[in-house]
Amino acid sequence: MERKSSEGRVVPLTALRGGETGTVASIRSGHGGGVGMGWGFERRLMDLGLTPGTKVTVVKSAPFHGPLEVIVRGSRLALGRGMAERILVEIEKE
Amino acid sequence: MTDKKLAIALAGNANVGKSVVFNYLTGLHQHIGNWPGKTVEKAEGTLHFKGYTIDLIDLPGIYSLSTYSLEESISRKYIAVEKPDLVINVVDASVLERNLFFTLQLLELGNPMIVALNQVDVAKRKGIEIDVGKLERLLGVPVVPTVAIKGIGIFQLLEKAIEVAEKGKREGRVQVRYGEEVEKRIADIVDAMKNVRSPYPPRYLAIKLLEGDEEIVKEIDEAAPHIALYAKKLAKELEDMHGHSCSTVLTSERYEVAGCIAREAQKMIPPLKPTVEERLHSITTDRIMGYPIMAFALLSMFFAIFALGNFASELLGNFLYGLGPLFLKIIGTGIVGELLWGGVIEGIIAGATIALPYIVPFYMILYVLEDSGYLSRIAFLMDNAMHKMGLHGKAFIPIMLGYGCNVPACLGCRIMETERERFLAAFVTTLVPCAARSVIILGLVGQFVGIQWALALYAFDLIVIFLLGRAAFRILPGEPTSLIMEMNDYKLPHARTVLKQTWFRLAEFIKIAFPLIVVGSLSVKLAEVLGWLETIAAILSPVTVTWLGLPSISGITLIFGVMRKELLLVMLAALLRTTNFAEVLTPVQMVVLGLVAMFYIPCIATIATLVKEFGWKKALSITAFEIIFAIGLGGIASRMLAPIL
Repeated sequence: MERKSSEGRVVPLTALRGGETGTVASIRSGHGGGVGMGWGFERRLMDLGLTPGTKVTVVKSAPFHGPLEVIVRGSRLALGRGMAERILVEIEKE
Repeated sequence: MTDKKLAIALAGNANVGKSVVFNYLTGLHQHIGNWPGKTVEKAEGTLHFKGYTIDLIDLPGIYSLSTYSLEESISRKYIAVEKPDLVINVVDASVLERNLFFTLQLLELGNPMIVALNQVDVAKRKGIEIDVGKLERLLGVPVVPTVAIKGIGIFQLLEKAIEVAEKGKREGRVQVRYGEEVEKRIADIVDAMKNVRSPYPPRYLAIKLLEGDEEIVKEIDEAAPHIALYAKKLAKELEDMHGHSCSTVLTSERYEVAGCIAREAQKMIPPLKPTVEERLHSITTDRIMGYPIMAFALLSMFFAIFALGNFASELLGNFLYGLGPLFLKIIGTGIVGELLWGGVIEGIIAGATIALPYIVPFYMILYVLEDSGYLSRIAFLMDNAMHKMGLHGKAFIPIMLGYGCNVPACLGCRIMETERERFLAAFVTTLVPCAARSVIILGLVGQFVGIQWALALYAFDLIVIFLLGRAAFRILPGEPTSLIMEMNDYKLPHARTVLKQTWFRLAEFIKIAFPLIVVGSLSVKLAEVLGWLETIAAILSPVTVTWLGLPSISGITLIFGVMRKELLLVMLAALLRTTNFAEVLTPVQMVVLGLVAMFYIPCIATIATLVKEFGWKKALSITAFEIIFAIGLGGIASRMLAPIL
């Protein structure tokens, strides 16, 4: 759908509290940008539907900085925290 | 067409009921092996329908047709190069948009195709109503609604499959239309590629070149390097325009199309109350409640398996070993008879008394957990703990399996994404005390030293696993990966699929483990008959007696243990001429023996599995390390425990 203007705040997905929704802005790659980590986690995230402009809702996170449970395009995903930190989302201004 | 043969491939996301459809269609006529030279499973089956002999291939469950993983690369090659007569795309109706993303990629490959819109019942419960006719029009291929788990729609699916395959060509091709600027560049590349021959359709090649797909770029780079270069330039232009990588742009647009189709074809009225599945999910992944529930579920599973397994194992063992005198009567008690019975047959019996009572129920429960969806919740809950070892949540699954038997556990490490993680997980898994080792720990330490010492050994094992896992993760080069996993809705497991998977796993276990168990026990028996055992024990005595403080004959039992760990106790009893080990061994000796047996080497069947999965070098380095580690640890323990016990 149409992209949100850059008015909202851009934060890592891990900054969202349970029940909050954000719009994927970009995915930070691993080391020094570019290709990123060897196994192409960016591609995998995209393939699962986390493309820029997509709405993602954090349901909850496992305790002690565990993985996040998110809902994207109607499917429920578990994302490791390290990875979730690289997903930058825009949250709407209140 | 005289022989009327058809090749049909099943393709789709993971957990959409593909294997259930496959099982319904092929029944018992199926064969599960590996793709040539790969550690990816290949399920094939045949069926007869309307005069056709249909070869059905169940492709691995994947989310995309890029070359991100081995499974994806294999599936894509199969569809594009082998060109099956038809592709049946199994789609989860309750997660339509995500599934259609994959459907669109299949459409780009251009094979004749139909869609099995599966789990329409689940979708309905979630308040999703799908207009099949509309979906058909939007996709340009036939869509058959199914509920595979109940067999609904399977017959119609097959009829439709034949009908479409007979036509041989797809009518009314619907293509993903990308944005103008992308389409223009696709057309430019297609134009430039007029003379390039490839099993892939030109448009597909052009799209993949823009995305920078490694395999395709390599292929084109070899055939026509200037085109690869040209595509790279065009991709750069798109990247500059959009501010995202070109593959991101194309993936986004593909998802846009999938989203539009899904929104047009489905009506969504979310139910007012959360469904039972929904509530079950919330409780089992709850920050607080999730853990005790998991602990309860797993402990009761282990308890049930060990209690039942022990009982069944004894029953089976008594019966089979009871056949000994009869066998020897027939074959004679000479050296041949002894070798055959003590070497070959007893080896098979030992394998059987472990495999059947422990491994079968273990697998069954595991597949019930997997099929129902609970396994992914466990991975979710354990992700954090696994991260401390540089692994992620999914690695907990092979580790759990290891408590049953290390062989399937090592095979189970395939669920990890990278070679490095597979190896790390396998290493950690071989440190998990399997059922056979539990027999030693419980039967020796638990019974004669005290159950608290047996439990202490288990606890110590967990610490060692954690520390060694962490060390290995530090030493091995490479990046840790994170968990990315779908948590499908809970569903009732499909009994026939569970039973079949268990059966195939068992067959695999027998194939890998049994020849080695037989060869191993035969050679040990041979050494015994030839009177070499005392010599071997004497050679080992600096280690066993001086360092570990054990009686000299324990060297023989440890050699036996390599072949069949559960026999370590039987051997010990035979050599010491008593089953009351407290009479002949001190508590310290028993604990040390239990400790060494727990760590000193994965059994020969596990070593064989490691060789199969990782090659000789890695398998032997794990083995060598564990021998040295266990012996070192045993000696230290023997000195430290002496004043306490």
